[in-house]
This record gives sequence, C-alpha cells and structure tokens, in this order.
Amino acid sequence: MAQIPNLDNAALNLTALREQSQKELLSIIKSIRGKKCLVIDPKLAGTLSLILQTSALKEYGTELRILSADPLQTECPKVVYLVRSQLNFMKFVANQIKNDESKGLQREYHLYFVPRRIVACEKILEEEKVHQKLTIGEYPLYLVPLDEDVLSLELDYSLQECLIEGDTSSVWHVAKAIHKLEFAFGVIPNIRAKGVASTKAAELLNHMQLEDPVSMDNMGIPEIDTVILLDREVDMVTPMCSQLTYEGLLDEMLEIHNGSVEVDASIMGAQQDGKKVKVPLNSSDKLYKEIRDLNLHVVVQVVRQKATSIQQDYAEVKSTNTQSVSELKDFVKRLHSLPEIARHVNLAQHLQSFAAKPAFHARVEIEQIILEAQTYETCYEYIEEIIQKQEPIETVLRLLVLFSLTNGGLPKKNFDYLRREILHSYGFEHMPLLYNLEKAGLVKRQESRTNWPVISRALQLIVDIKDPENPDDIAYIFAGYAPLSIRLVQHAVRSGWRSIEELLKLLPGPHMDLKRVRCLDH
Amino acid sequence: MSSSVSVAAEWDLLSDRFYRRITIYSPLPWSSPATTTASSSGGGSSGVGRLDLSTHIVAAAPFGGPIAAVRDDSKIVQLHSEPSRRRLLLFSSSGHPLASSPWTPHLPRLHSLAFSSSLNLLALLSDGSLLRFRLPDLNPITSSSPVPLLPPASGGVADAVFWGGGVAILTEDNRVVVTTDIEVDDPHPRELADPGVAEDEQVLCMAVVEPQFVMSGSPEVLLAVGDRVVAVDEDGVQVLGEALEIGPVQKMAVSPNGKLLAAFAHDGRLLVIPTDFSRIIFEYECDSALPPDQIAWCGLDSVLLYWSEVLLMVGPNGDPVQYNYDEPVMLIPECDGVRILTNSSMEFLHRVPDSTTLIFGIGSMSPAALLYDARDHYDKQSAKAYDNYQLISSSLPEAIEACIDAAGYEFDVSRQHTLLRAATYGLAFCSRFPHGRFQEMCKILRVLNAVRDPEIGMPLTVKQYKLLTATVLIGRLINANQHLLALRISEYLNLNPEVVIMHWACEKITASAAIPDVVLLEGLLDKLRLCKGISYAAVAAHADNSGRRKLAAMLVDHESQSSKQIPLLLSIDEQDKALQKSIDSGDTDLVYLVLFHIWQKISVEKSAPLDFFGVINARPLARDLFIAYARHSKHEALKDFFLSTGRLQDAGFLLLKESRELERNPMASKGSPLHGPQVRLVEQAHRLFAETKEHLFESKSAEEHAKLLRVQHQLEVSTKQAIFVGSSVSDTIKTCIVMGNERAAVKVKSEFKVPDKRWYWLKSCALATVGNWDALETFSREKRPPGGYKPFVEACIDAGQKTEALKYIPKLTDPGERSEAYARLNMTEEAKKAASEANNGDELFGRLKSTLAQNTLIDTLRDRLSFQGTY
Repeated sequence: MAQIPNLDNAALNLTALREQSQKELLSIIKSIRGKKCLVIDPKLAGTLSLILQTSALKEYGTELRILSADPLQTECPKVVYLVRSQLNFMKFVANQIKNDESKGLQREYHLYFVPRRIVACEKILEEEKVHQKLTIGEYPLYLVPLDEDVLSLELDYSLQECLIEGDTSSVWHVAKAIHKLEFAFGVIPNIRAKGVASTKAAELLNHMQLEDPVSMDNMGIPEIDTVILLDREVDMVTPMCSQLTYEGLLDEMLEIHNGSVEVDASIMGAQQDGKKVKVPLNSSDKLYKEIRDLNLHVVVQVVRQKATSIQQDYAEVKSTNTQSVSELKDFVKRLHSLPEIARHVNLAQHLQSFAAKPAFHARVEIEQIILEAQTYETCYEYIEEIIQKQEPIETVLRLLVLFSLTNGGLPKKNFDYLRREILHSYGFEHMPLLYNLEKAGLVKRQESRTNWPVISRALQLIVDIKDPENPDDIAYIFAGYAPLSIRLVQHAVRSGWRSIEELLKLLPGPHMDLKRVRCLDH
Repeated sequence: MSSSVSVAAEWDLLSDRFYRRITIYSPLPWSSPATTTASSSGGGSSGVGRLDLSTHIVAAAPFGGPIAAVRDDSKIVQLHSEPSRRRLLLFSSSGHPLASSPWTPHLPRLHSLAFSSSLNLLALLSDGSLLRFRLPDLNPITSSSPVPLLPPASGGVADAVFWGGGVAILTEDNRVVVTTDIEVDDPHPRELADPGVAEDEQVLCMAVVEPQFVMSGSPEVLLAVGDRVVAVDEDGVQVLGEALEIGPVQKMAVSPNGKLLAAFAHDGRLLVIPTDFSRIIFEYECDSALPPDQIAWCGLDSVLLYWSEVLLMVGPNGDPVQYNYDEPVMLIPECDGVRILTNSSMEFLHRVPDSTTLIFGIGSMSPAALLYDARDHYDKQSAKAYDNYQLISSSLPEAIEACIDAAGYEFDVSRQHTLLRAATYGLAFCSRFPHGRFQEMCKILRVLNAVRDPEIGMPLTVKQYKLLTATVLIGRLINANQHLLALRISEYLNLNPEVVIMHWACEKITASAAIPDVVLLEGLLDKLRLCKGISYAAVAAHADNSGRRKLAAMLVDHESQSSKQIPLLLSIDEQDKALQKSIDSGDTDLVYLVLFHIWQKISVEKSAPLDFFGVINARPLARDLFIAYARHSKHEALKDFFLSTGRLQDAGFLLLKESRELERNPMASKGSPLHGPQVRLVEQAHRLFAETKEHLFESKSAEEHAKLLRVQHQLEVSTKQAIFVGSSVSDTIKTCIVMGNERAAVKVKSEFKVPDKRWYWLKSCALATVGNWDALETFSREKRPPGGYKPFVEACIDAGQKTEALKYIPKLTDPGERSEAYARLNMTEEAKKAASEANNGDELFGRLKSTLAQNTLIDTLRDRLSFQGTY
C-alpha cells in the first residue's frame, strides 16, 4: 500500500489540492534541465512523500539527497536545494557550496524556499557570501493532506516559537494557508478562535481577504462553513496524557511520521533482523480505518474475530468440495484482506508488549489521579520517585507539566526541589529547558488557586466510561478524560462560543466569534 | 429604394469592386490662417500656425494616430505670420494641435519623421542619428542629444524606411543599417550584408519587408539598383526576378500582409509581384513614365499612385479610378484602406464592404437590402414592411447580420442608426439570432464614435479597432491625456480602470507642482477610491520621485498591501512607521525587511548599535525576531543586546550555551585542562543570574554545575578515566559505585546534598548493574530505607534476579506494590494473594487478569495466521 493516502472519500476535493502541489514541484524540477541533485531538508523529505512518489522525480534526471551539515556527495552539475525557510538550514547550504568551491567544483545552484522566500534566510546567505551564486525561487507548499480528513501545516516548532521565542511567523503562515484554501473552496463564513495566536491568525486572514480578495461572487456556496482556531496553549493538558487508542498507542510507542511508522522487520513477522520497514497508516487501509480510533483491547478482539472467520472459511474450503465458483471467489476476495489483518496483528502484538507492562498501567493511573486533582501528595511523590529512578526525561516532564497545569503550579519549595532533582539526575544542561518550560507557563511556581477543577467540571472532562467497547463519550481515548480541546470544538460546532463565554475566560488568551459578510445567496 | 441610390452614387467601381472615399474631418483647424504665434504645449486651437504639407516634413501614425510635422528647411518657404524659428508640431488626426516644442537649432538636417508602434515620435537626422520624443508633450526620451545609428564615416542617410518597430537606413556609401530595437534606451543598429552597389550605380528606391513577415524574423530590405532588385538581409544579398525583366524600378511598396510588392518601373508600368519575384501578378501601364511621388497599398486589392494633383487607384483589371486634388496629399496606409491627408481634410479611402454593397448596391434585392427597406416602410407605417419581411423570412439572420456589419463600417452616425434600426426590425422576428452580436456592435460603435470626435481625433474603423484592441486604445487615450474618456470607456467595456486612474494620478502629481500637498491629496484620493485594490504605493512612489516626499508619505498611508507599503516607507525614510506597520501586518518577513534596513543604515552611519537596540527593544515582535536571527549568526551582537537592555539571565543562558559548545568541541577532550574555560563560562553565567532576584534558582544551579565540573575533573585525574565530565550528579555517583569507589560516591552525595531517597535508588541500581548482590543485601540492612524497599525489588527484577528479588518483596509495605512485583515475576498466585490484601484489590486483579489473557490471546492469533504462506 502506498504511503500517499487515497483522498477519494474526502469531504473536500483534497486530491486537487495535492495535485496542485505535485504539479508545482514537478514544474520546478522540469524547469532545471539536465541531471540535477535535489537536496531536501530532512523534515520536508518526509512531507513530500505524502505528495508524490519520490521515484517520479528520478524520471527527470534527479538524484535525491537529504540536507545535512556534511559536504554534498554527487556527480551532478546542478544542485537544487528545496528547504523550508528556516535560518538553521542556510548555514548547511552555504557550507556545502563553500565546500564544493574549495574542491574546485563548478556547479549551478538553485534554492527553492518552502513555502516562501524569507529575508532573514537570504540575509544569512549574503553574510556567508553565497547568495550571488544561487538562483532563488519558491515552492508554495502550505498544507499537506495527511489523510482524507486531515490537512497538516507541518509546523513542528510553532509552539516553541510563539511561546518562548516570540517569533510569530507561524501565525502568519496559518492565516496564509487558510487563505489559500479559501481560493479553492470559497470564503469561510464563520471563524471561531480562542487564544492569542488564533485570534491574531483570524485577524490576519481577514486582512488578507482585504488585500488579495477571494471573490465571493463567483464561488457559489462556500464548501467550508466554519473554521475553528485553537491555540495549543489553550489545551496543554491533553498532549501530556498517554493515548489509549490503537493509533494513539502507535504514535506513543513507535511515533507516526508522515502517515507511517518505522518498525523492525522482525516485528512485522519478517525473517531478516535489524532491518527497518515502513508501515503506512492511513484510511486507504480499510481495516485500519475501522480500528484506528478503538481502544487497544477492542482492536485485538476485532482483529481476532476477522482472522478466525477467515480461518474457518479456509478450513471449509479445504475440507469440502461443495463450494460453487462464486463462493470460492468470495473467499478469495476475503483472503485479500489477510495481509492487512496480519499487519495489524503484528503491530497490535507489539503494542501489547508495552501496554501490558505494570509501568504503563501505573502511568495511566497516575495521569488519572493528576487529572482528578484530588491527592497532591501521591502525585508529587510519584514524580519525585520517577526522577530519582531516572526514568526517561520525556516521561518525567510530561507528568510534571500535567501536574503543574492541573494544580495551578507547584509550591515554591516543591518546585525548586523537583527542578533540582531533575538537574541532578539528568544533568545541568537541562537548565534552559526548565527555564523555557517556566517561561511558557507549563511548569511554574504556584501563585494562585488552580481553576482546573472548575474547567474540568464545567466541560465534563472527567467521565466514567462504563462500556469501553461501545463508548458513548470521547473520554474513552484517555481512560476517562475527555480532551479539553475536543470539548471546546464540540461547543464551537454546536452553538458557538456564546454558551461558554465565562468558561473561556478561564483559559489563556482572548476569544473571537467572527461572521464574515457574504453576498446574498440568490 | 430611393434612399439607397444616393449612397451608392458616391462609390467608384474598380475591377469588379466598389471603393468609396469618406471625408472624416474637414476642414481641418490648421487650414484656417493662424492668428497668434505658436504657444507652448497643448495650447488652444488658435495657437498653432497653418500646416502646409508641401513645406513640412510630416509623419502620421497608423490606427488614426497623431500627426507630427517640422518645417522642411531644405525648401524655400514664405513665412506668413509664423515665427522664423522652427517648431516640432503635433496634431491629432482631426488637425487639433496637441503640442509643440522648439526644434533644437544647429542639428544636422532632418531627414524624416516617423512614429513607433508605441507612439513615440522618431526623428531621423541626415547624419544618421535619431531623436526620440515622448507623447503627448514631446519631451525627449533619455537625453536630448541624438542617438547615432550609423557607424562613423558612412556618409549619412541617403534613404530610410520606418516601420512600427524599427528603421532601415541606406547610407550615402550604399550600405544598409537596420535597427529593430528602436524603443529601448540604447538601440543596437546592425549593418546588413553589403548590397554590392557598383561605383557607377545608383540605388533607385527602397522598401522593407517587416520582420513579422520574414521567416528568419529579421527584416528584409529590398533595393532597386540599376535594372535589378536585390533583397538584403543579415546573411547575404539575393538578386530577385531577373527572369521577369522588369527593368529599373523607380518606386516600391510592400503590401500590408508582406506578401506582395507594388513596383513602378522606369517605363511607366505598375507591376504587382510577390515579394519572392516568382511571377508578375498584374501590370498596368500608366500615362506617365515619371515615377509617382507616393505609392501605397489600399487594403490588399488596389494600389494608389500619387503624382502632384492626381491620385490614381489601380486594380487587378479594368480601368483605374482617378481622383484629382488641387492641394498636396499625404497617403497614410491603414490595414483596411488608406487615409488621405490634405491641407484641408482627412479622408478615408477603402473598399466598400460586402455587407454595405448588399444593402446599398444599386438594384440590390438581397435580403439585407429588403430588410433595410422594410424598416423604412415600417417607419412610414406602410404595410409593405410586412411584405418585405415575408419575402426574406427564411434568410432573416443573414440579413440582420449584414445590417449590423454594415453599420460598423459607417462613419456617419445617422447612417449607423438607420442600419441598426433595420437590424432591430429583423431581430423582432428572429429569436434565434444571437442578440449579443447586436449589443456588441452597439458598444463598439459607441466607443468608436467617441474617439472619432474631432476633439479626440482618432478615426478608427471597426477593423482597426479590433486589431488595435480596446486595451491599447485606452493606453493611447491615456497617453494623450484623455483620462476621462479612457475611464468612461474602461467602465463601459468592463475593463479594469486601474491603469487609467493610476496614470491620471501620476500625471496629476507631475502637473500640480504648485498645489499644496493636502489639497492635491484630497483630489487624488477622490479618484483613487474609484478603483478597489489600486496600488497607492505606486502613486506614492511617483510622488516621491517627483520630489514630493510629504505627499508620498500621506499617500502610502492609504495603501492596504503591507508588502507594497513597507518598502516604500523605507525608501522615504519613514523607518519608525515602517517598523510599526510591519509589526501590525503580522508578516514576520516584513519585520525582518525593516530590521535589516535599519541595521544596515546604522552600520553605514556608524552610530552606536545602542540606537538600534533602543528602537527594537520597545517593540516585542521586532526584538524577538532580532534575537531569533542573531542566535543563528550574530552571537556577539546578541550578547551586547542582552547586556545593554538588562536581560542578564538571557546573557547567562547564552554563556551556558557557549560552554556546552566547548564541551562538544573535541579539542576540549576529557580530563584536559581545557575544562578551565568551560568552568569559567558557567561561573560567569552564575554571576549574571545572581544579579537578579528572580533567577536565584538558575544562579544556584550554575554554581552547582561549576562545582560538579570541578569535582568530575578531579575524579578523572584521580581515577585516570575520562568518563565523568558531562554526566549528571546521579550518574557520577553511580559511576563511582560501579567502579567500587564508595568513598568518592559518598563524598559527591554529601557535597551535593543528595537526598537519602535518591541515594537508595542510585546505589541499589548501581550495585545491581555490577551484580554485587551481597553488597546490595548489606546495603539493605544498613538501616530502614527512607523510601521503603522498592529500589531493591526493582533493581533485582530489572536485572532478572528472581531469587534476589524475593528477598525484598515481602518487605514492601504496600500490598499493591507487592502484588505487582509478584506479577512481574509471573507468580500469579502470590500476586492474587497480595492483591486481595489491597483496598482496591478487585480492580487490580481484574487488570492483571486481562493483561495476562491478552498476551496469550494475541500470541495464539499470530501462530494461527502463519498459514498465510500457504497460498
């Protein structure tokens, strides 16, 4: 199965969106004649694999390389850099060009910024004295369809940039991406935003519509009715919790990147050891589509039921000769789903080996206790213990952040003690990390009473899941915690912000409910 | 059909086709005697002297373009009341003066005038240099000194032929020089192959096949030399049509499609031949053997020859048509006919269109003629109208089409009316005829009538208009400063008025030097508002270039596109505003643009960077972006910035970052005294943190860090193993224990005040790592562990030592923990038992059961599926 998701069932014509991106990339490649080496930054290389088969690029005499700090190894007389406009990549590009020069290599260099040229990047190229040698262009890739119902901006560092560095480039980027989307699907009439960045993005979007209007006349009824913008800052609690759905666990344990996980071949039942295989995970896989959001326990049952039924059929086919041709055909058809079943049996088994560990249960349990915000001491001691045991620092920090967020910070004594324990256990080089967490308000000293219980109660975040196999509330995905952001979206969709206005004030940042003028429908 | 007869009576039959001469403008304003001296540009109609074609060098632009003239000083002229100084005069096609400017004295003799296709006026001087003027005010382009087109010592211009995009010059020493980029700032003349004219020979005449008609894409020059015609281009010379035996050619003209040549031979024959001279298409013997003064094609079907007082139109067969003129004439070829300019009138001679012939032809019974007639009857309320309709009902669409078409060819507005009315009569009966066609023609005619008005003076025909396109027409109107009409036409034709308003605004600024900024701004905004999305920045840029910076600043305020507004604000030195606007725009790229601009300016002006720091420190986004950028490339500047703006903690973190880079540096290898600088940086950071109360924790930590580095350094020296530096306090303790150096571990513990709880975790883990179970047991007996026996249990289970683990599990006080420990050792019964002691025993047990069950379940599933290999 291809990693490029099938988008035929999407509510919007995302295929056209993706084809546009394909076309733009190919026209860049085609515009540079002859043999060329395409150098892509590591993250972008993954993103591009969702847009086209990289083998398609090879047809145009293209060699592929990943941008790194090392000198470029290629025989090609032309080099095309395709990099996201990030400052850190510029030094790499400059160094590679300088390295070629020191070896006396004469090459033609092109640099395409994704999604657009940035003065600051070019400034660094100028300072490195390579700007003149580059032909500079743009590849306006803003949104990438990850699946039939997910578009991603692939902005990994936007939270850090906004909260810690104060660099709000990504907010502009978000607005631009939505504006681009509006050119394809019409002006979105309703915008609901919560948070500093989201309201700013909504403002920018409005401004862009003024500067470079999407015609409201010829488009007919807009295909997108409402856009809901939420700052990550509004709900930092949810990403700190351990996900319990099949897909969530896959991401927790194996990390899903660009719609696929990379696992040891042995896990997938292959003989060769040490080799890694890529397993695509998207809705094109019908079984995956069915089970991705289910609790791992339920997944195991579903997969078992499917496998058993095929096995029974198989037994029947083998034992009797009475089947008609059409029955046989039917059976063969069902056999085709076998690789899918096998794939998920392998993955589920692998996940189970993690999820069954007492440590995992302990963690899920302590998360629940922290979320319920009842017993301070238990939580505090648990965190102290895992620091002293030197469990992975990510685990420690996730719990610590969760604890601090739900508790409205930690008393100064505890705060300083835990921070000191962390520095002693994991090294003083984590000082800036702790400082940044404090700056972002994720781990902080307690200054006022926490409003988490109020929020949690008002939005019914803690739910008792009675029947995990047929859950009636989203809270099943976190063992009884309904994600704050999902509750907000549910309200925004149902009745707008007005009904929860008071509550929104308890969460960081302003909110905004915007109706954009539209021409009459007649 | 009485009305039709009078129309056709004005036609002339040539071969089997009718031609007609339409008087467009008469009399021309210049034919009345002048009253005052010539005024400066664009004065009233009385301001310019009379124009006599016989005493002036004249050029007229095709597509109803303007007329330019300079008095020919090679002729003896009687000056009436005109000034003796020559002037360059510009008129519209209707003879209205548009501009005039004094002709620079002491220039070489003027050879000829011409218009380029974008309506710049070109004046070729006899030494082969070229002057260019921009319309409508005749300002010289680029410089007032002429651009030389000929190589030195070529003897000057003997003959020259212009076309819209260039000029071909024959020099006195019989070389041919062609310039095709005549509009650019510095044109590149190219000399063609040597035509090979012998000493005793003479070039009789010259013609040019324009580049768009030549395969090679460069022009081909035809020269009549002796009794041959040669075609000259860049690659060589070709003698043409020797077999045709034409004899010396006195005058030549290439047809509008570039395929045919009209040549007047020395014996008075007019020949029409293809430009490749393959055959003679037709010839006509004129009465005169004297070559005509002018020769021109009228469309593709006839050739006009002009001798003084006589204009002869020759067609492929039959008698030519002769027109007499008692005044000088200038022929202006158009794509569909010829305009005839005289001292008193402007006429248009063209073939009568087929549709017109159908309707007005004498005795025509065509459906179109009957429809036209029917309308006439209808207006007279005669029943014959319906009779006519019945006669033609089957061919109504073509009749309507003919009436609409014919209306388009008329210059006379009332006749346009009658023809269109005839068409509407037909339309009433004919639903299948596309009504759009009728509306389109009405629109075109409205536009044409508007620009044909003598005040505007652009006598375009439908065909010319379509060839020229509405956009170019609007461009021409703008350049003639007819902004209002251009705007009306744009609006009428649903074209974007932006280009018109923009041009108007710029012209307005140029022409309003005396108007105060505020007043002018009001006037400009009034009109600019008409056009949504117009670039105020472009107008502002023009204002700035015209030396009105204040006006520019006011205009740029109205620009909505930040990406256009901000660069302009920078160029007019409004940096603070630019910075603020860029921040408001939310586009960080624009903020960077402004930042770098200011930074560069400051470094040029050598003012202290403190100014820059001051500017950005007041604006958080600008400040943060500067920091983000400086982190990548300007560490020193960043440190200065932090220190000078009191952000000591950030400077501290910067030092810590540097210290880590030192650590990563292989030069600072473990155990070497190079650790010195690293420790010093950390201590420096510690002092910076200590400066502020808020960063006490960081300050203490940095202090401890420095201390740790020292301790580790000593450990590396004493153990002679470079394994300590860079590890944490806990890891240092573990390493010591693993190495068996308990004393050092305890020392680190006390120096860094490691709490007992952590100490138990670290020590049991380290002892388990080296498998020192006896030591572990001794350790467990030292005293009651402050956090219980969990560290011991976990250390043993993690190391897979079941027996060792069982020593400690019973000592766990919490039954839940005990149960879990047993479960991890797969001791289900014990786990169950322990669970039952716990408060939440049921839940605990349930979970245990399900984990165990799941594992087996999925394993069996995997085995069962192994049959997949069988098919």
